[in-house]
Formats: sequence, structure tokens, C-alpha cells
Amino acid sequence: MRSMNYNQNVQDYFANLKHTGEFVDGVTSYLDDQGIRIKLSARIKDKKIANLCFLAWGCPHIISATEFFCRTFESCDIQKLEQFEIKPIMKKFDIPIEKTGRILVLEDAVKSLKTIINKNEF
Amino acid sequence: MDKDLIYLDYAATTPVHPSVIACMQKIQKDSYFNPASNHIAGSISSVWIQKAEEKLLKMLGANQGKLIWTSGATESNNLAILGVAKQRSYRGKHLITMRTEHKAVVDVFRFLEKQGFEVTWLKPESNGKLLHEKLKEAIRPDTQLVSIMHINNEIGAVQDIEEIGFLCRERNIAFHVDGAQAAGKIPVDLSILDIDLYSISGHKFYGPKGIGALYVSDGILMEPIMYGGNQQSKIRPGTLPVDLVAGLGEAAFISHSQIEEDLKHLIALRQQLINGLQEVDGLYINGPTKDGYPGILNVGVSDVNGESLLYLLEPLCVATGSACNSQSQEPSYVLKSIGRSDFEAQSSIRFSFGRFTSPDDIDKAVSIYCKAVKKLRSFSPG
Repeated sequence: MRSMNYNQNVQDYFANLKHTGEFVDGVTSYLDDQGIRIKLSARIKDKKIANLCFLAWGCPHIISATEFFCRTFESCDIQKLEQFEIKPIMKKFDIPIEKTGRILVLEDAVKSLKTIINKNEF
Repeated sequence: MDKDLIYLDYAATTPVHPSVIACMQKIQKDSYFNPASNHIAGSISSVWIQKAEEKLLKMLGANQGKLIWTSGATESNNLAILGVAKQRSYRGKHLITMRTEHKAVVDVFRFLEKQGFEVTWLKPESNGKLLHEKLKEAIRPDTQLVSIMHINNEIGAVQDIEEIGFLCRERNIAFHVDGAQAAGKIPVDLSILDIDLYSISGHKFYGPKGIGALYVSDGILMEPIMYGGNQQSKIRPGTLPVDLVAGLGEAAFISHSQIEEDLKHLIALRQQLINGLQEVDGLYINGPTKDGYPGILNVGVSDVNGESLLYLLEPLCVATGSACNSQSQEPSYVLKSIGRSDFEAQSSIRFSFGRFTSPDDIDKAVSIYCKAVKKLRSFSPG
């Protein structure tokens, strides 16, 4: 079965996507690289990330990892974005080494979102 | 088979026909003898080999030439291309093939390039077919071998091997056809085709895995690629697996007797699948929309990632690219050769069906596919 290519975390997150979409009243970063497209959208309130959501075009690993990012950082202080690291995500979702370049697109999208948030001086 | 699975990957492999299984079990039990042995028991096994050869040659419509038993189409392709290229190398080192050939052909030509041969890689039209003019232009005085597949394993394009064979024969160029997807599935009549070498795979037409054959026309000389015995005129040494050979013969006999019935069944299933998938916006067919092999339908959709799509299609068993390619993250080189972009190629799925596929299987496949596309598009950035 194809699902055998993905660990239980990927299967669980992919089956329960709760953060898909885009905020028209939020800030947005968009990355298109390595055959992966990720759009991250955030609503900022009182120096906090009030809401996070995403649109993505990629494999189940990428989609699940992006959902995980949204779940982890929603309702957090903006500064917590500094703590974002891709390595624990690769471990959690057992992302194969050959997909490193692709999963780094998520890291770039998060960095880009952080830059946009900082520029807007919320 | 797991009862929940919907198997639509017949181009990767087919279920073994029950009569083939029965035939092989009988031989495994009663005729385990080495067909090369010079005693009465050996001759019992060699009779099975002869019968299988007769059945397969009949299915291929061959009234001359011989069969060389191999482990499958990959070995047949290797033997045909390497064996003939080496044998004819004193006359010239130019070879011609297509960019959309199976890996079992592409990689052999790549190897020969490293050995000093020059290869012309012909590009197909957007429907996957080869224009004869392109082949004519590519042929040179030192061209020794042309290798073109009969049916493309990813998109189902059927090449005009009659015309290509004629062009080659006129110019005394050896013509090899990879018939892995065609033998036993569409009528093949080698008695009227100018084909020198034709590769066959047992498991592609309801026979066992691990057995194939290379048809070699009279007068074609080739060098072996393996050494170690006198079997099969030293061209392919090694003890023959009598049960597998006989199983392949039985599969050939069955396919030959019901090939028209199979094709009618496939044409109906293909139309049902196309009708069902039409409700998906942005769907396109990769390869021929008509005159293709009806057992393969390769489709792509916009705004959908192929790997995620494949994951959501479970329990539907289909392929992205080809099964042999499925571990690769690269977009299909076949789809790229017919003009598809990386994104289009990665979003494409090959449905392939056969004798045991039911209309109910197709209905379920349509339903699963449409739901999966809808889900992925709901969060695609476009």
C-alpha cells in the first residue's frame, strides 16, 4: 500500500487538515520552488499569531509538515517563530533525505512570513 | 488479492490466469526434469518447451524464426540490442531509438553510447507516435539497428511498426521491437511484418513473472551477452525453467484465443472511464486520444500534486509515470517528451486495466479519483 511510504504522523495529519485556506485580512508569504508551492497566511493580533493557515501544492510529507507548523505556531507570540526548525519536523514525519530540498521550501516560506510580519511592525 | 483493492495497474503486471497456474503446478510436480538432459525424463520436459514455443509463435503469427527464452522483457531487450549492436559493429556504430522507450531499452542504449556507439534519440509527436519522416531523416549509411516499442507502457501510444519495419528492411537495418505491452494484448502477425527481433514478457499477459522471450527472425545474427552453457544455441545459456516456459505458452494460447474479446472489453471500459472522469475540470489525456491501446489511459489534472493524488487514491492501485519508475521523484521522461511540463507530468496518473477488470471497478475508480482531486484542489494555491 502507498500509505506504507508515510509514517503514522503523516497519515494522521494529512487526514485531518484543519488549517487550510487563506486570510484576506492577514499577511501572506508565498514560495514556489523545487516543484513545491506553499502559501502561508497569518492574522496578527497583539504581537501574537492569532491564526495561521496555508495553501500548498506538494506531496503528503509537505502538506502534513505545513499543517503541523500551523498547529504548532498558532496562538503563539511572533517571536516564537524564531524557534522554528526544520530538522525536528523531518524526524517527526520521517521525511526521506531526497526530499530535503523540498521540505526546505517550508522553512523558506516560514522565514518569508516572519520577514513580512516584522516589516509590518504589528 | 485484498478484496478492498481495486487493481488498475495491468501495464505493470497482470494477474496470472488460473489455467496458467494449474499448468505450472502440474509441471512442478511431475516434470521437474532438466530439458537439456539426454535421457527420457529430460525429453519429457523438452516436449513442454516445444509446445510452449509452438503456442507463442502461433500467437505472434510467426511462420519462421525462433524464440530465445529469457527472464523477461528487460533481458530480451538487453539481448536484442547489445547482441545485434555488437555483432554488427564492424559495419557501423549508429543506432536509432526513441526518447519514450522503456528504461530497459533507454539504459541499454545509454550503455552503448559509453562503449563508442552513436545513438539518435527520436522525439515523438504530442500523441506519442513517431513520424516516419523523422526516422527516414535519422537513418544514415552506418545505421545498424532501430529499436522502437510497439505499445508505450505509460501512455498507450501504438507505433506503426509495419511502416517502420518496411523502412528498415529496405535499408538492411535490423529492427527490434519491444513488444512487452503488446504481445498477447493486440493482434501481432510477424509473418507480414518486417521485424527482426521482438521482445515479450510473460507477466504482462496473464503469464508468470520471471519468464519472457525474444523472437529472432531467420538470418539475424547476434552475440550472446551471457556465457556458461550450450543451451539455446549458446545465445542464452542456462537451464530453462520448464514450468515458467510452459506457463507462458499457456498464457499465449489463452490470449490468442480471446484477444478480440479482450479488446472489446477494454474499449468499453476505457470509454466508461473517460465518461466518468469528464466531470473533473482541467482534466487532460496524455498521449493518444484515439488509435491508442485501449487498456491504458494516462490522465493529468491541473492544480493537483501526483504523489498526494496517488496517496488519496488508495485502495485504487494505479501508477504515476510507470511502475518501474515509481520510486523516483523525477517527473516521467515519457510525459516530458510529449510536451508535458514538470507539474503536468507529476500530476498525471496511469490507469491500466485488463481481462479481469469489471465496470464496477471503473465506477469505483472514477468516484475515488474525483473525490481526491476535489480535496487536493481545496487547498491548492493554484
